[in-house]
Amino acid sequence: MVSTKKTKKTHESINNRLALVMKSGKYTLGYKTVLRTLRSSKAKLIIIANNCPPLRKSEIEYYAMLAKVGVHHFNGNNVDLGTACGKYYRVCCLSIIDPGDSDIIKSMPGEQ
Amino acid sequence: MVKFLKPNKAVIVLQGRFAGRKAVIVKNFDEGTRDRPYGHCLVAGIYKYPKKVIRKDSAKKTAKKSRVKAFVKLVNYNHIMPTRYTLDVDLKDIVTADSLQSRDKKVTACKETKSRFEERFKTGKNRWFFSKLRF
Repeated sequence: MVSTKKTKKTHESINNRLALVMKSGKYTLGYKTVLRTLRSSKAKLIIIANNCPPLRKSEIEYYAMLAKVGVHHFNGNNVDLGTACGKYYRVCCLSIIDPGDSDIIKSMPGEQ
Repeated sequence: MVKFLKPNKAVIVLQGRFAGRKAVIVKNFDEGTRDRPYGHCLVAGIYKYPKKVIRKDSAKKTAKKSRVKAFVKLVNYNHIMPTRYTLDVDLKDIVTADSLQSRDKKVTACKETKSRFEERFKTGKNRWFFSKLRF
């Protein structure tokens, strides 16, 4: 059983990709809008922080399963995810609607 | 990226008088309407679930236990939980947006839904839909 430890390198690359999405793409932050984008099938990728409450995490994963959208579990808590988005507040879950110049959609869904 | 809130999708109502009940989407209003400027859908659900029927029961008892009480409602998307199940019962012609205009239209819609649900329950299909959600 090889435990896939996320190396520092891939974590930084997620942050870089996320920064590029923030700059050039479309996204929404927050649980309510994540569900809204999932329902309207606008979401391309969902990112959830690691300290998201488990009921909320399973609910978002279930919606994403129904919508056939990838979910990425961010290696950090909501404070770190907020910082990665360049915001000064906590972000527990976010939805990427349009990746812009980033290749986050093509490279991320491989590793869930 | 797949639309999943479509007609015939089984959902669970989360808020209101019918919280915890299973329902099936009859019609979607994704953009909303003038009166309801948010995404909502017309659902037909089960108010009173049919009771558990066992082999020992007489025909009269089975008939009594298989009774279903239905409801028809317009619900906000935020107040339902979609599931992976579907229920293909044709309710498009009975349950319409204007069947909620007046009391007696709603009653006839519910009565017709009730009969369609009961005959589906008696075939033994969609067992998940007709079982009470335990919580």
